[in-house]
Amino acid sequence: MRTSELEELPISKIKAIYDYIPPRGIFKMHVKSLTGIETNGLYIDTFIAPDKLNAQNLRANIQKVKDAVKVVHHLNIKMAILGGFTSLLLEGNFNDFEDYDMVLTTGNSLTSAYVVKGLEKAAREHGISMSESNVLVIGATGDIGMACTNYLKGKVNRLLLCARNMNRLKTFGQRLLDEGHEVKYSSDLSELAPEADLIISVASSSEIAISSLKPKVIICDAGYPKNLEEKVEKVPGVFLFHGGMGQLKHGYSFNPDYTSQFYRYPAPHLGHGCIIEIILMAFEGIKENFSMGKGNITSEKIDLMYELSLKHGIELAPFYNSDGILEASKNNSTT
Amino acid sequence: METQEKEFKSIEVFNVTSDIYSQAITGELIGMSNFATLAETIDDPHEKMEAVEHADSERRHAEGFMAYAKKLGLNVNINLKGSYWNRIREQFLNYAAKKDFIACIIIQEVMLEAFAISMYTDAGNALGGASKKLFLSIAEEEKEHMDHSVELLQEELHKDPDTFIKKFEGIHFNCMTILSEFSARTDLKGHCGVCNGDCMKNALHHVNLNVDSLRGNALALYAKALDTIGIPGEKSIVWIAKLPA
Repeated sequence: MRTSELEELPISKIKAIYDYIPPRGIFKMHVKSLTGIETNGLYIDTFIAPDKLNAQNLRANIQKVKDAVKVVHHLNIKMAILGGFTSLLLEGNFNDFEDYDMVLTTGNSLTSAYVVKGLEKAAREHGISMSESNVLVIGATGDIGMACTNYLKGKVNRLLLCARNMNRLKTFGQRLLDEGHEVKYSSDLSELAPEADLIISVASSSEIAISSLKPKVIICDAGYPKNLEEKVEKVPGVFLFHGGMGQLKHGYSFNPDYTSQFYRYPAPHLGHGCIIEIILMAFEGIKENFSMGKGNITSEKIDLMYELSLKHGIELAPFYNSDGILEASKNNSTT
Repeated sequence: METQEKEFKSIEVFNVTSDIYSQAITGELIGMSNFATLAETIDDPHEKMEAVEHADSERRHAEGFMAYAKKLGLNVNINLKGSYWNRIREQFLNYAAKKDFIACIIIQEVMLEAFAISMYTDAGNALGGASKKLFLSIAEEEKEHMDHSVELLQEELHKDPDTFIKKFEGIHFNCMTILSEFSARTDLKGHCGVCNGDCMKNALHHVNLNVDSLRGNALALYAKALDTIGIPGEKSIVWIAKLPA
């Protein structure tokens, strides 16, 4: 954000001030639909430093999220998506904002849609049958993890569920077993990874390490941050892509334009599913909270959001990871 | 002096407390001088009287700090010509010479008061005891000044947003640059001329303070004031990001 005439600030100096900044708008956004509808938005940052996302700072972080929603209210904006960690901090609970007369969403329905549709597409392109595959979900008891699991149940051979909280995992796993699905669950990833053909990772833990993989396994990294490459055993044939992302075929613009500083991707006009969900809600004039709470994302909501996405010319992002566009997607990565 | 120093846990605590009071008194006297100058720029008799009243309020704050510093036997150094304070005063005088009432209000009531309110609150809470009561009560009065001016500036912004924001931006870089250099981890333009001996920033830990949180809280309050006035966050964040650090 500092211009070229100023010296770059070292990280230590940025860290010294970053989390003192009150939540505020950073840039305006303009988006166009395939149908010709246009809409404007504002990106508001909570200024929660990544290294402050811990239990010790939980109360302060929740307050920052609430302050950010208050900014939305003061600016008389009627729709907001609480993206990334902000919805995790509130666990999708919007009760505090009932008096604000605004529509809210976590954006997790469309993120989940892009994850499962991306996995299905990758499997198809690699000649892997979903119905014969074992699908491992890492972070299975989170909102997106549960949504993906519920969407995939009955469509795959076996669900392998992994989460840190064993009580929640047991409750969720047992429910699926009671419904008659093939399920194995464990908080120990090494017990599940060797059996997986397809993997969805929606966990944010820095402690994940995936090893003993089958050859030619497909991995969708949809966690925050997307850095699973560093944590996966280097096995030839592993296809790892960053999921939960869409590509706005009719583009978007930022004002000020920070696209050269951040939100940089190897293909043009990529966006997070959660952000695109609120764009679709604006295009469609949806006047009620959409994705909210935890465990409330149904397969119907996933399908509805995905249909709306395609209707407005927003498609699955091409397959890419930190090395760039992946071979299978190269022909489809430009708009 | 020896008897008084015994009330402090260590000579370091005595020294840093002395420096905190020195800065507070010098800052209040700069505020007093600024309001006195401001009174001369105003034609409206009621507003003129209000400016004099504010100058008197800052004088009383300075006197309050001086009286308590004397009681504690602190080693107070008042220096209105100290490098940073003098530069801020010069900036104020530049705008006052042009009879730019709004610019003067922005410098004194938003920029300087944001730093005063925030730093008095932090210092008061850290020093404890009677110092806490004194610093917090003065911070509260300064907050009333700031709130009153923020309302006035909201009206100004409403009249002509683009011109007002452009003007504010210019004042921001003229004045906040100085405050930012002053409050950086190390004084970016040398010794302030107010602290006794070395820069007190190196000794703040003796009273459970640190320069990063003092500066961070002050800039946060300044940012919130800009938000309340109605300056778009996407502009103020760039202004703040461009300050020296």
